[in-house]
Amino acid sequence: MAHTDHILIVDDDREIRRMVGEYLQRKGLRTTLAADGREMRAALDTSDVDLIVLDVMMPGEDGLFLCRNLRASKHRNVPVVMLTARDEETDRIVGLEMGADDYVVKPFSARELLARINAVIRRTRMLPPNLQVTEAGRLIGFGQWRLDTTARHLLDEDGTAYPLSGAEFRLLRVFLDHPQRVLSRDQLLNLTRGRDAELFDRSIDLLVSRLRQRLRDDARDQTYIKTVRSEGYVFCQPVVLLGENA
Amino acid sequence: MSATPRTGWRRLLPRTLGARLTLILFTGLLLAHALSFVLLFSERYVAARSMMLTYLDQDVAVSVALLERLSPAERVRWAPRLERRTYRYLLGPARPGVPLTSDRAREVTALIDRSLDHRYRLRARTVSTSPERFAVELTLADGQPLTLEVTPSVMPIARWLPVVLAAQLALLLLCAWLAVRLATRPLVQLADAVERLDPARVHPPLPQEGPVEVIKAATAFNAMQARIGHYLAERLQILAAISHDLQTPITRMKLRLEAMEEGADRDRLIGDLGQLQQLVRDGIAYARSTHGATGPAVRLDLYALLDSVVCDYQDAGKPVTLGECARASLSTRPPTLRRIVENLIDNAVKYGGGAEVGVRRLDDGRVAVDVCDRGPGIPEQEMQAVLQPFYRLESSRNRDTGGTGLGLAIAQQLAATLDGELVLANRSGGGLRATLLLPVAPASTPTLAR
Repeated sequence: MAHTDHILIVDDDREIRRMVGEYLQRKGLRTTLAADGREMRAALDTSDVDLIVLDVMMPGEDGLFLCRNLRASKHRNVPVVMLTARDEETDRIVGLEMGADDYVVKPFSARELLARINAVIRRTRMLPPNLQVTEAGRLIGFGQWRLDTTARHLLDEDGTAYPLSGAEFRLLRVFLDHPQRVLSRDQLLNLTRGRDAELFDRSIDLLVSRLRQRLRDDARDQTYIKTVRSEGYVFCQPVVLLGENA
Repeated sequence: MSATPRTGWRRLLPRTLGARLTLILFTGLLLAHALSFVLLFSERYVAARSMMLTYLDQDVAVSVALLERLSPAERVRWAPRLERRTYRYLLGPARPGVPLTSDRAREVTALIDRSLDHRYRLRARTVSTSPERFAVELTLADGQPLTLEVTPSVMPIARWLPVVLAAQLALLLLCAWLAVRLATRPLVQLADAVERLDPARVHPPLPQEGPVEVIKAATAFNAMQARIGHYLAERLQILAAISHDLQTPITRMKLRLEAMEEGADRDRLIGDLGQLQQLVRDGIAYARSTHGATGPAVRLDLYALLDSVVCDYQDAGKPVTLGECARASLSTRPPTLRRIVENLIDNAVKYGGGAEVGVRRLDDGRVAVDVCDRGPGIPEQEMQAVLQPFYRLESSRNRDTGGTGLGLAIAQQLAATLDGELVLANRSGGGLRATLLLPVAPASTPTLAR
């Protein structure tokens, strides 16, 4: 593996920019620093960037604005990890709706940021971005359920909400991004691993059975998630995008 | 609502302003009416009396002189024609009676005596007391006795007069009642509005209409309401600004510490910084919690929410379990509810070493979400105090649990924004039970926008 991931760090605070850059370099990544939107665009135009770390609160063009513009430009496929200042539900939702792939709440630790960066890169490598239906829409329909990807709950036909745990949501998102495709346990584990990756010690089988219960999927009928012997699992319902991002 | 205890005569006063005003106006009107009634009567009485006396004065002299001239046979024909409303002439001796009983009778007798120029010897006596009637007997020149029977009475009042007076009184009372209502109703509305006033919620302004004074009060109230909302918004802005400005230096310190060489000092500093960070986060969360939750209410399956929260904790290796759960679906704001439950579980895990979550349905229709632990519980006398922001039990301080003393305060504030209630109780056998009581009906008025 000769490839070294190239991370573009966009933050108006010089100290944070520099220290994050140094940490990531020590961990074997290549970094470019940018103080604002202009420098970010210049860096994108002159080199291949694998991922952008983008601060939300910046004077002038803020991170949300830059992210939205990025998604409309030729660099739309570059994954973005947002640095948000507030751990508020709405900020997170807005960030994800603006096209960010993940977020880290300030004050963050460099280790935490690195874990997020690696997870996002891993995810985008494993599946082409245009297949990420869960990144594109807020409401996704399948079978008799709808998934609200920002509120992270299922909606039944009456509109009653059934919240999902973090791991269940991530697993379901992986399935919805890969309908009709057999996914191995390793693949699922890799894609489902959340921010508490090191603490996640449940086996995928247990998580799948929990998700089946949530979907009221009978383990014998298996109308949503089918077990493929010695291979893994397959999501066997057609997936429909019901609501575009604003 | 409580009022200062009323003592003495004040206890007899009616409690409401409306009743008091009505009482004052009613008493006043009644007295005024009675007074004019009395005046009317006495004036009428005086006038009628003087008229009667003047008339009597002239009439008796003429009548007696006339009867004196007539023959006895003609007297019989004439006597009835001389009869007046209050007296009549009887040809014959007076009926037996008692000596005059009233001043009026004596006065009239003297008057008759005077108008007859004291030419007759008058024998007067009262023959009846109810109605008062007295007879004045004299002997005509030819020896025939003549009796003047007087029944003094004031002219009867017209039958319609009391009716008119009563109608008048009724009309005045109606006006008084209307006036009182006009004066007190805006007051009641204002009091209701003040009572309903909750800074975290949006209220429609009081209608600014009616009399000038009422408009003024309503305008002042609306202005006050707007001012409170403005102060709250300002406070939130300041907190948001502080939070943002603190995040950046804390982030820098954190990154710098991580770049430092490992050692005991570095670990201690990281610990301190973590506490500082927690305090900033909780402080902001508390400020926001008083301001109400955002987002629309949705129909939620309570079991699914609690199960997902518990699964998150279990996935993170925390000893949290889901106990007996009554099924319930309610209209609420899931992120807010989730945060309350997480705060309670965090508390139970931190102080009680683990949490068990359960749901009960209460008889009053509400649902109760219980978060129980087997920790030391809370001394009864501090049960209310722990809900205050920044309040920490001595045991918690001593053990240096790293809490900020805001978790329960935030949970309580957020519970109020869901029209819910947070109740703490020690469990038999040790430990604490934190209960979140929630209405099943939809959460009420939308909260103030951030």
